[in-house]
Amino acid sequence: MTVPFLQVSGLNKNFGGLQALRDCSFAIEKGRITCLVGPNGAGKTTVFNAITGFLRPESGSVQFQGRSLDRLPPRAIVRSGIARSFQNLRLYADMTVLENVTSALPGQFGEQPLSAIFRPFRTARAMRQANEQAAGILEHVGLGDQARVWTRNLSYGEQKLLCIARLLATGADLLLLDEPTSGLSGEALDRVMALLRRLQAEGKSQLVVEHNTRVVMAIADEVVFLHGGHVLAQGSPAEITADPALAEIYFGGAL
Amino acid sequence: MEYFYSYLILASIFVVLGLATNLLVGIAGIFSVSQAAIFGVGAYVTAYCLVNEVMGFLPAVACAAGACLLLNIVITLPALRVAGDYFVVTSFGIQLLATAAFLNWNGATGGASGMAAIPPADLFGYAIEDTGSMLLLCVAAMLLCCLAFYLAMNSPYGRLLRAIREDELAVAASGKPVIPAKAAAAALAGVFGGVAGSLYATFLSFIDPSSFDLNASVLLLSMVVVGGARTLAGSIIGPFVLLALPQVLTMVEIPSTMAAGVRQGLYGALLIAFMLFRPQGLAGQKL
Amino acid sequence: MLLLQLLVNGLVTGCALGVVAFSFSLVYSTTKIFHVAHAGVYTLAGYLAWSLARAGMPDIVGLIVVPVVCAGFGVVIQRLLYDPLAQRRATHLVVLIASLGLLAIVQNAIAVLWSPDILHFDSTWRVQTIKLVGVTLNYAQIATVVVSVALYGATLFATRHTGIGKRIRAVASNPFLAELTRLHPRRTYAMVMALASALVAVPGMLVGFDLGLQPYTGTTVLLTGTVAVIAGGVGSLTGAFLVSIVVTVLQNLSLLVMPGQWSVGITFLIFVAFMLVRPRGLFAAA
Ligand SMILES: Nc1ncnc2c1ncn2[C@@H]1O[C@H](COP(=O)(O)OP(=O)(O)OP(=O)(O)O)[C@@H](O)[C@H]1O
Ligand SMILES: [Mg+2]
Repeated sequence: MTVPFLQVSGLNKNFGGLQALRDCSFAIEKGRITCLVGPNGAGKTTVFNAITGFLRPESGSVQFQGRSLDRLPPRAIVRSGIARSFQNLRLYADMTVLENVTSALPGQFGEQPLSAIFRPFRTARAMRQANEQAAGILEHVGLGDQARVWTRNLSYGEQKLLCIARLLATGADLLLLDEPTSGLSGEALDRVMALLRRLQAEGKSQLVVEHNTRVVMAIADEVVFLHGGHVLAQGSPAEITADPALAEIYFGGAL
Repeated sequence: MEYFYSYLILASIFVVLGLATNLLVGIAGIFSVSQAAIFGVGAYVTAYCLVNEVMGFLPAVACAAGACLLLNIVITLPALRVAGDYFVVTSFGIQLLATAAFLNWNGATGGASGMAAIPPADLFGYAIEDTGSMLLLCVAAMLLCCLAFYLAMNSPYGRLLRAIREDELAVAASGKPVIPAKAAAAALAGVFGGVAGSLYATFLSFIDPSSFDLNASVLLLSMVVVGGARTLAGSIIGPFVLLALPQVLTMVEIPSTMAAGVRQGLYGALLIAFMLFRPQGLAGQKL
Repeated sequence: MLLLQLLVNGLVTGCALGVVAFSFSLVYSTTKIFHVAHAGVYTLAGYLAWSLARAGMPDIVGLIVVPVVCAGFGVVIQRLLYDPLAQRRATHLVVLIASLGLLAIVQNAIAVLWSPDILHFDSTWRVQTIKLVGVTLNYAQIATVVVSVALYGATLFATRHTGIGKRIRAVASNPFLAELTRLHPRRTYAMVMALASALVAVPGMLVGFDLGLQPYTGTTVLLTGTVAVIAGGVGSLTGAFLVSIVVTVLQNLSLLVMPGQWSVGITFLIFVAFMLVRPRGLFAAA
């Protein structure tokens, strides 16, 4: 049996009596788009936080490409190849669009004050390179002509694209996207969906939190259904949507 | 002329201090009211080394800068762990602690009466005794520090600090070091504070605790706020404007016993006025 | 006996400090403003009382009138400084700098208008002493303890059982929701500032009766108070009051082993170390 790309096993997390994750286990495969679905408060964001080192689960472990990520800080996890976005974006509003991307490029010369002060020319060269690289990424997500704009002046849809650009800048192979399409509709929604598929074609594996069933059906290779911090089911989109019990849980509150 | 020279010298020294405060408070977003303490340590270390003939001027500056670098990292350490307002209390506390040490550690600091007869600066055996040469030295030091500040801020490091101020969590999620970057800002600010302290002690040849108390920290803050936070221009303009203020005040008839109070009160009023009506200062960005 | 005397002295100072601490805590937990200028109100109160006494009023008049004046001053600070800053969406840092500016104005205005040197009240009742089991206490100290404990009790009762208190706590826990439910957070903030300023005026005067007045000492008092607020758990009046007493008692006892000038410095040193180990304070909720 081969080692799964990302293996989450037996995570438990308690928030002062509220069991946000309860023996949460699932695996995802390389090169695929896996959608993480579940009602509000199911623990989807908490799973992301646990995988990326922003939260310490009480028990359980996460393996990425056969290596354990347990107890690693967020920085080390990004370097090992997993990057995550935030539900509330967390862009740098008072920086330019380009700077939002350059600040996520790994291993830049001049990121310590000493090298910046004593090797100014080398630093300037590194910055030029970084800017070109970031401009390429922006081009790729469709923000090429917005590079010099203040981030706070972007439309919401563009901000969502910028979040993805920032993830790409880290060079990670596995992208964890927390609701990349929420709040979008029409053309903006289509742009994000097209981008996610394009990234998949380029070899980026993705774990995507998604509420919109139509989007799930369109992009997912695999669906993980989370409820009360526990994985209730995992399967193809068709299997999951066909299960009346899951639909009852998912839509039950609304009906 | 002599008088004008000493205004320029003091302003250059305070520009270096303004850079330190701007770096921490404006750019890294670490609210520190203890930068005057660092300044004081730089001044006392230099004075101690020179008065007791432990070493020459340049090694003493290096010692002062090194001591302030380490000390500033240590006193900023809580800010790396402690959220916002709690650090404010810590920072005030450190300032009060430093004042207590300057006042009471008689053996090293001369206590309330301070240290007098500090020898002048010297470079490679050439003593800088007249005000003109001292001005050159201070302006040169100021320019070097400004250059270092400019280079650091317009580099990936500067961008990293700005990103940290906007959203630490997002920086961590991009795989960047948050705590080392902040510690480096504190270190750089410490070096600036130490250099400024050395120049100050050798220029005045006399220091006492009152130059390094909470009021001095407030003055530094006012300089950054009036000049303008986060920019090089702001850090330069602020000290030149605020140090001119006492000169202007001497033209108004006030008894000398009140002068200090009136001046400090005016600094306070400036802080409020700028925060209310022009938070970006004369040449800075909105805080 | 020295030990007992130091203990009692610490208790007296602690009661006064406790009122400073919990009144600051009221402002801080409701408005989220780190109101450093509170130290200015504290200092001003003593000087106003001194002037009233100079004008021939008995000290009791000052004790009643000055808190009212200070309450007004608190409202003015809120209306003319903090409200406009809030309207401009000023960051926390900006508000703090403005507050620091106000403190500098008040302290220096006092030094200019009154005197930069220490001032003492002329009245004689305050220095009369009684001896209790070997401990000497003057009347000003006794008044400090009695009035401070009374204020603590009254404030605790008011925040728990009166409409205003409930309103303050509602606004403190969620200003956004309070806005929606028409609790008028702005008006509540002004009320809190009035209340806290009136409260802090009292130790400002009582300590002045006992030790005299100086323009710049308020900062240290307030900061020691904020240490108590944080260590006691932000939002807890009782925590702030009790930790204040503990801190000053320890400071006084430390006189047995080291000179007094160091005690404030040591307090902050311990606090800094403490914050490094427990960044969220002693009784912080998880
Ligand atoms: N830091 C925290 N402290 C306390 N409780 C938390 C914390 N983070 C999450 N929770 C709780 O854990 C549960 C799961 O939260 P989580 O954010 O993971 O849900 P989610 O599936 O992402 O929901 P949504 O679809 O609304 O984003 C919720 O009940 C939430 O209130
Ligand atoms: Mg979520």
